[in-house]
Amino acid sequence: MQLTDEQAAIQDLVHEFALEEIQPVASEADATEQFPEAIWDALGELDLLGMTVPEEYGGFDTDPVTYSIVNEELAYGTLAVATAVSVHCLATSCIASFGSEEQKERWLPEMAGGRPVGAFALSETGAGSNPAEMATTAEREGDRYVINGDKQWITNGERSDVVVLFAKTGPEEITQFVIPKETPGLSVGPPETKLGLRASDTTPLSFDDVEIPVENRLTPEGEGLRAALSILTGGRIAIASQSVGLAQSALDAAKSYVSEREQFGGPIADIQSVRHTIARMHAKTEAGRRLTRHAARTRRDPSADTPTAASTAKYVASENAMDVTNDALQLHGGYGYTTEFDVERLYRDARITTIYEGTSQIQQTVIARGVLDEG
Amino acid sequence: MKILVTVKEVAEAEDDFDIDGLDIDERYLEFDLNEWDEYAIEEAVQIKEDGDDVEVVSVTIGPERAEETIRMGLAKGVDRAIRVWDDAFADVGMLDPKTKADVLSAVVEDEQPDLVLTGVQAGDDSFGATGVTLAETIDFEWGAVVNALDLDAGAGVASVHRELEGGIEELTDIELPAVLTIQTGINEPRYASLRGIRQAQSKPLDLHELDDLGLEESDLESPLSRTAMYEPESEGDATVFEGSAEETATELASLLRDVGVVEG
Repeated sequence: MQLTDEQAAIQDLVHEFALEEIQPVASEADATEQFPEAIWDALGELDLLGMTVPEEYGGFDTDPVTYSIVNEELAYGTLAVATAVSVHCLATSCIASFGSEEQKERWLPEMAGGRPVGAFALSETGAGSNPAEMATTAEREGDRYVINGDKQWITNGERSDVVVLFAKTGPEEITQFVIPKETPGLSVGPPETKLGLRASDTTPLSFDDVEIPVENRLTPEGEGLRAALSILTGGRIAIASQSVGLAQSALDAAKSYVSEREQFGGPIADIQSVRHTIARMHAKTEAGRRLTRHAARTRRDPSADTPTAASTAKYVASENAMDVTNDALQLHGGYGYTTEFDVERLYRDARITTIYEGTSQIQQTVIARGVLDEG
Repeated sequence: MKILVTVKEVAEAEDDFDIDGLDIDERYLEFDLNEWDEYAIEEAVQIKEDGDDVEVVSVTIGPERAEETIRMGLAKGVDRAIRVWDDAFADVGMLDPKTKADVLSAVVEDEQPDLVLTGVQAGDDSFGATGVTLAETIDFEWGAVVNALDLDAGAGVASVHRELEGGIEELTDIELPAVLTIQTGINEPRYASLRGIRQAQSKPLDLHELDDLGLEESDLESPLSRTAMYEPESEGDATVFEGSAEETATELASLLRDVGVVEG
């Protein structure tokens, strides 16, 4: 698991930024359901919003291991920020991978600095785990496409200025587009009220006769989803990494609490059942981390095993993040159940990690396919 | 113009630690850039960004482990770095300010900087004397505990605010070449950017041994040596008042009255 000097320095930097800048504002951002925009701008100055933008367009073009480490450390700060960053990076990845030279020139240099913010519009109310069932359509009319439909669970829904959209150009043809947010007919729905990840800006997007020029099509017609699969594999490793960072922050909070909290004449860290709980939390966090690093290294030189490795990492790291945050809350006793301590928020945040970017059930489907059908 | 920044990697101990011989057991230490030096680096990099043709060089006396910390300075905008080390340093143990100043003066002689910035002190041994001792050794003008700096490079004058005891500030002009010891709070140190970190990996970081600096082992003979290391017994207890500002203010006021600090 040896990191290069550059990777180690980036890890130190983002860890320090998470501790000093993100964690202090995380609780308020959660309580007010406001995304911390000042943090976003600071991340832009550190080049962290151009991680998936090629260098020739002003980005940093990180390797998959560095990208994973940054996601882990940002989530150590707070998951809402890490999620917003990874979605922005999904959008820049799509534009960088599939966009024309003109589209890349138009969007990437500024997006690398953080604004315009990107969104990624794939899910719909009737198309979650199975995106092929999407109903949003893009009909070709001369040199334009006319888009109609509704997208759901869009991270950066309100705050984004550019949207990577998936829509059907034919009955079985999913195609990718890039759409400026100000295009007439594109509207943002009311923000979702969520259990956790409350500082993340999650809204529906509606497309009502939205007209865009043909040049805004990113992929050939019908190749939108297949083209995105590799990028979504990277997205899964990002969520796995974030799950690890979230678990680590819960573990660190628990370590500190059990060393200070005194019962039965000493710190509760002296009680064997507490020690075993901490041991289990460490083992689960570390297991998630190792699988995630492995998946990131696999992605550096992609092979047929990469999707299985990514799904395995995402499945284990997110389920373990749920267990670790649950244990952290339990170790805090009654205090853990109050907003006085962060573990309550970490517990709520962790719940989303087994759902988004493919549920644990979908990950198991992918893993089983790799183990049983492709061996 | 050339600015030399002295940079030290310091050890910080965890809350709970064991002592091993004359030092804290290394398992409980974390090594990081000295906090004051972080401000000195930022000040130098800001001068570079505001001026034309300014080179910022850092110098560190430290083992190979310190290179990670030195690279962080390079990532924040230092142009190149010098690390001074020799097996002899490991044998000497504790270096007093004069010995350190002698070593650093050899680097100053090589580099001929116009301005030397040091931190006011180091977070580990807290001598707070190396910068000024260096100035005396190399016969530079100096200003200690600088918390504001306005440099007129053309005229060769640094207008500084110096923090004196009791909240008093001294405003003074110092002619270059000079050594300024930089106080925390003079600026807001930046984080390194990813691009800065990448560039730092290929910036020069040169090792100078004693020979390279024209020094000998005998130059490291320090009049100071550590004779014991122990954790002092804590005396007295802290009282933490909890509640709203009004409640805690009332509690504090009655305590101050009880112990006779205030009357009435």
